[in-house]
Amino acid sequence: MEDIKKAILDFAENSKKTKFYFSDMEKAVHKVLPDAKTRMIKKAATALINEEKLIYFSTGSSTMYGLKGRGQTEDH
Amino acid sequence: MAFEPREDQKELKYDELRIYSDEELNNYTEEELKNFKVKHDISMLEDLESGPWPSFIADAKRGALHRRKLADDRMLIERDVIEDMLGQLQISFKDGETHWKHGGIVGVFGYGGGVIGRYSDLPDKFPSIAHFHTMRVNQPASKFYHTDYLRSLCDLWEYRGSGMMNMHGSTGDIIFLGTFTEQLEPIFYDLTHILQQDLGGSGSNLRTPSCCIGRARCEWSCIDTQDMCYELTHYYQDELHRPAFPYKFKFKFDGCPNCCVASIARADMSYIGTWRDEIRIDQEAVKAYMGGEIAPNGGAHKGRDWGPFDIQKEVIDLCPTKCMWLEDGKLMIDNKECTRCMHCINVMPRALRPGEDTGVSILFGAKAPILEGAQMSLLTIPFMKCEPPYDNIKENVIEPLWDWWMEEGKNRERLGELIQRQGVSKLLEVLNIPPMPQMVKEPRSNPYIFWKEEDVPGGWKRKIEDYRARHAR
Ligand code: HEM
Ligand code: HEM
Ligand code: SF4
Ligand code: SF4
Repeated sequence: MEDIKKAILDFAENSKKTKFYFSDMEKAVHKVLPDAKTRMIKKAATALINEEKLIYFSTGSSTMYGLKGRGQTEDH
Repeated sequence: MAFEPREDQKELKYDELRIYSDEELNNYTEEELKNFKVKHDISMLEDLESGPWPSFIADAKRGALHRRKLADDRMLIERDVIEDMLGQLQISFKDGETHWKHGGIVGVFGYGGGVIGRYSDLPDKFPSIAHFHTMRVNQPASKFYHTDYLRSLCDLWEYRGSGMMNMHGSTGDIIFLGTFTEQLEPIFYDLTHILQQDLGGSGSNLRTPSCCIGRARCEWSCIDTQDMCYELTHYYQDELHRPAFPYKFKFKFDGCPNCCVASIARADMSYIGTWRDEIRIDQEAVKAYMGGEIAPNGGAHKGRDWGPFDIQKEVIDLCPTKCMWLEDGKLMIDNKECTRCMHCINVMPRALRPGEDTGVSILFGAKAPILEGAQMSLLTIPFMKCEPPYDNIKENVIEPLWDWWMEEGKNRERLGELIQRQGVSKLLEVLNIPPMPQMVKEPRSNPYIFWKEEDVPGGWKRKIEDYRARHAR
């Protein structure tokens, strides 16, 4: 779990985009940890949300993730 | 089976929870409403009020006047929120373009759905709608409410939001329209801690499941839609609140093929109650319909004289599979040809009833037109037993399906589009079920249909030259 969280953060910090889909994050994790299960990646992402390191971005119809403090801030 | 809530349900009392007095709730006269002018020009919107249907503009004006007359400390967001919303809408009507910014990072802590960030792009002109976030409130199964609950909910929203709401959104949620970021957490706290009410889904997750009125009121319900909706809503809380799907995913539950929640047209996974034995026939009641003693269609078409009931014309000839006939004054049905369309049962409910060996048909992939046009869901599992806690459906259908879609679906690709892209045969393989003749569109044109790439030495990519070296053309 900790290694998945680290892989997600590495990806989020180094990605050119400030917002990314779950599947982009999943692909990035699989590059480092090919055996990581989708369910575990989701758990790790949820943990990072709860630790306030990741944020959700939603248009209402689809949802993306982002690194807190990067790109769009709390308001607007 | 008696309903067992997952947690103790408190009895809510409006008298204890109310925020506003009766005087505050009824704080203007019809005379005042007639003379009331919204502070912005809304002439184009007012045209809508002249149409034949009740207009949301008329409702919004009532809300605006009501807020004008409330005391300052009786609302936590700007008084003018409704007037500014109308003012901005007028500009949008004039220019033919929206002034809402799409999307944002607002939400309540830990939830990826349920709140949709909206901001005005004209905040200087309309400061009261600088933020105008939507909240989705997960409606109870079949939308049964106690008035104490509804009143408490309305007071909460009047106090912390615009007071405008939509009953209901297309997933069934109660939609709260328009509040500021700082109100989101307090509203969520009151909803969950006081009203025992969760938010619904939005974004790339399981959307708020919804069901028809089912066994609560309807004798045709072949499955307990309310129980199933409640159970799957609770069981899949993580999928509802923490988005990790390629796109939205909807469950809808209809008790019979009449499809009152339109699951077949609106759900990625439609559950439709059905039966696999025979339609129950009461031949005495058939005679009574034929003799005009019982009104057809439960009396629904009484408004006009349609002449005497004609069973041949109105039932037998309209059966889509032509599997009914009269024999010695008795109504006969060849049940193995019946597609369970419900027509005959709807016309003669006292004579005909669904069978007793009931279960569910499961269909996949309905969606609205964004890509590839609108699609109805595809009947994939004609019959499955359907008893709480539905482990057969969770383990053998829902979860393998989600694993496939999460693995193979592209970003923003609905299940129906994935089925189109990879084919129905792939869907059947994922669910481990045999195809039905009805799924075959044409005689096979590809002799390799039985082969999978991994079963063929060299796969699809082996070099034709190697083969030609040994076999002349
Ligand atoms: C007027 C002449 C013909 C008609 C109307 C005809 C019609 C058909 C039809 C309806 C099928 C079934 C297609 C399917 O189920 O996939 C078929 C399959 C087949 N026919 Fe013919 N056919 C004719 C002539 C021929 C001739 C002359 C040959 C061989 C020299 C031939 C070889 C085949 C083969 C090998 C198949 C199996 C193809 C497959 O299943 O993939 N047919 N034909
Ligand atoms: C001892 C000799 C043969 C035996 C036992 C045999 C047996 C079979 C069988 C059992 C099938 C049915 C496969 C299925 O389930 O679709 C079949 C199909 C077929 N056979 Fe033969 N066969 C023989 C010789 C030949 C020869 C010499 C030819 C052509 C020159 C031929 C052409 C075909 C074709 C075109 C099909 C249809 C393949 C498909 O579309 O599935 N067979 N054969
Ligand atoms: S879908 Fe069928 S069971 Fe459900 S309310 Fe409609 S008619 Fe009744
Ligand atoms: S339910 Fe529909 S298909 Fe079946 S017998 Fe009645 S009319 Fe025919």
